[in-house]
Amino acid sequence: MMSAALELSGLRKSFGKTEIIRGVDLSIGQGERHAIIGPNGAGKSTLFNLITGRFPQTAGKIRLNGNDLAGKAPFEINRMGLSRSFQITNIFPKMTVFENVRCSLLWAQGYKYSFWHQVSRSQKLTDGAMEILEQINLTARAQLPAGVLSYAEQRALEIGITIAGGANVIMLDEPTAGMSHSETDYIVDLIQKVTEQKTLIMVEHDMGVVFGLADRISVLVYGEIIATGAPEDVRGDPRVQEAYLGAAMEDH
Amino acid sequence: MSSTATNTGVAAGPSTVRILMPWIIAALVVLVLPVFMGGRSQLTIMSQMSITVVFALAYNMLLGQGGMLSFGHAVYMGLGSFLCLHVMNWSGFGSIPLPLLPLLGGCFGLFFAVIIGSFATRSAGTVFAMISLGIGELFAALVLIVTVFFGGEEGISGYRDEGMPFFGIEFITNIEVYYLIGIWMFIATALMYLFSRTPVGRMANAVRDNPERAEFLGYSSQRVRFVSFAVSGFFCGVAGGLSAILFEIATESDLNVNASGAILLIAFLGGIGFFWGPIIGAIVFTLLQTVLGLETHLWELYLGVVFVGMVMFFPAGLSGIIMAHAPAAKMGKLGTLVVPYLTCVLPAIIGGLGIASLVEMIFHMRSAATGEHDMVLFWTEFSTHSVMPWAVAAAVAAAGVGLAVRNAPAFKSAWDNASTLTEGA
Repeated sequence: MMSAALELSGLRKSFGKTEIIRGVDLSIGQGERHAIIGPNGAGKSTLFNLITGRFPQTAGKIRLNGNDLAGKAPFEINRMGLSRSFQITNIFPKMTVFENVRCSLLWAQGYKYSFWHQVSRSQKLTDGAMEILEQINLTARAQLPAGVLSYAEQRALEIGITIAGGANVIMLDEPTAGMSHSETDYIVDLIQKVTEQKTLIMVEHDMGVVFGLADRISVLVYGEIIATGAPEDVRGDPRVQEAYLGAAMEDH
Repeated sequence: MSSTATNTGVAAGPSTVRILMPWIIAALVVLVLPVFMGGRSQLTIMSQMSITVVFALAYNMLLGQGGMLSFGHAVYMGLGSFLCLHVMNWSGFGSIPLPLLPLLGGCFGLFFAVIIGSFATRSAGTVFAMISLGIGELFAALVLIVTVFFGGEEGISGYRDEGMPFFGIEFITNIEVYYLIGIWMFIATALMYLFSRTPVGRMANAVRDNPERAEFLGYSSQRVRFVSFAVSGFFCGVAGGLSAILFEIATESDLNVNASGAILLIAFLGGIGFFWGPIIGAIVFTLLQTVLGLETHLWELYLGVVFVGMVMFFPAGLSGIIMAHAPAAKMGKLGTLVVPYLTCVLPAIIGGLGIASLVEMIFHMRSAATGEHDMVLFWTEFSTHSVMPWAVAAAVAAAGVGLAVRNAPAFKSAWDNASTLTEGA
């Protein structure tokens, strides 16, 4: 049997005496699009940071494609096939857009810490980077410093960087935060396009985005998952409505 | 879409001739310069310049490309220099061709950089800067303690001509040494440039910009910093070997904190944002140090003023100032800047010289022997105890600065005009 793309069991995290994640069990299948929602301060970003190795967990297990991630550094987890974006745009602002994408291809194409290859001589690297740029619609911006792009373009670039390495588990932390309606539509299309055949896990506040993209939804409240299921089931769950969705749902 | 893609492909790898042109010109300049400036001291100054270029570029591998501010980088050059001098004093030196000595220096630099880098590069930022400062102090102290190796205050000296002759060249004359150092400078510069374009060289930029993001791309930012640090140490060691060849002596002043500070200053002066920035910095600094240093005791004061002004008003350094003209040059509007330069920048320079004259006269009055009233300034001899020189200097200073200030708004608008695309242009 194929193991789950990501499996969390009894996951806990405390900062000092405050327990932020209080026993999370969650299994996300291969190719699933999973959204994690919940009110502010529920621990969504902390959960992301635990999974991606930014913080060590206090207790519990995280398995990526069946492999335990305990004690692994972010770069090791990335090499195992998990890639993430950040809530606050996290790109290389002084490098060109093209360079941003090319750097994110280096490890995947096996260059490691090489100091004997010339990056500009590799047609495969250049083609790979141009292909990603085309997917995220930034081809025309390729030679600009990434820092001068508009906010939505920077978010698109971040998604490009996240998917470029070919990881099969993609985690996006609030990809549409702070965007206008048209920008949100653009990013949602983009996410749909670039995560085909991949496992997608995202934190998102915009319910339109969540219900449009996700196969399953988990609701995180005070460090615990109170419901997991298909969007209709979660929408109908009285506990979820009580805890969180109520007001937001009436809008839809 | 496809046409854009091709264009960008071309921009990512311009034609071979365009890439090689600056290198060919640089090689010709290095080759031909001695024809015009063949004097002993001129050759020595140019050789010193070449060594500083190598050191400054190696330093900028850390600062500009890797985002690591090192306050103790003279250690690697200095150790390379000391060890090369020990090799020169070693009985087997006669079997080593002198042109290979810098390579040994590089290996020494690499050796120490690997050891120190293994713990110093764990983090960037303040922690890295503090560790490098500590290492710098440590070795400066060691020089005076471990006299067997460092020779105490006298340092270690040797003779370069005791090496094995290289195709009959014994490197006794200055011109031979000049070409040896020039060729090494050229090779080292080319290698450092190529390094910046390798995967780990590119990732050094990425780690500089955003270490955390780099980690999520599969790279250990510590490891990337370590590789840059080690390679930088190698080229510092090469510079140390070249210095051993040129000066035939190494002393405490080659690896103390002053020397480390100087290289930081050189890199900033030239600008750390472009690969070639530190080259400009090294050339200008060496000129100030040697030529201006002969003219006045106060050269370090002027250098300090220039440095502070640079960091405050032009943080991108001399290379940044040069590149700021690129948009105007591209649009063919460089000509419109000539008059503003003549009416604003030139008076500013003249005013600066006036102020410097006042400073020199004050310094002369305070430090010259009693009764010694005559001094020479700008090829003119005069007495500091008469009113006239003071009045002239003050007038020049006031007029220069006044003109510059008055014309500054015009300069600024001309500059803005030249650097922005105007309708119908």
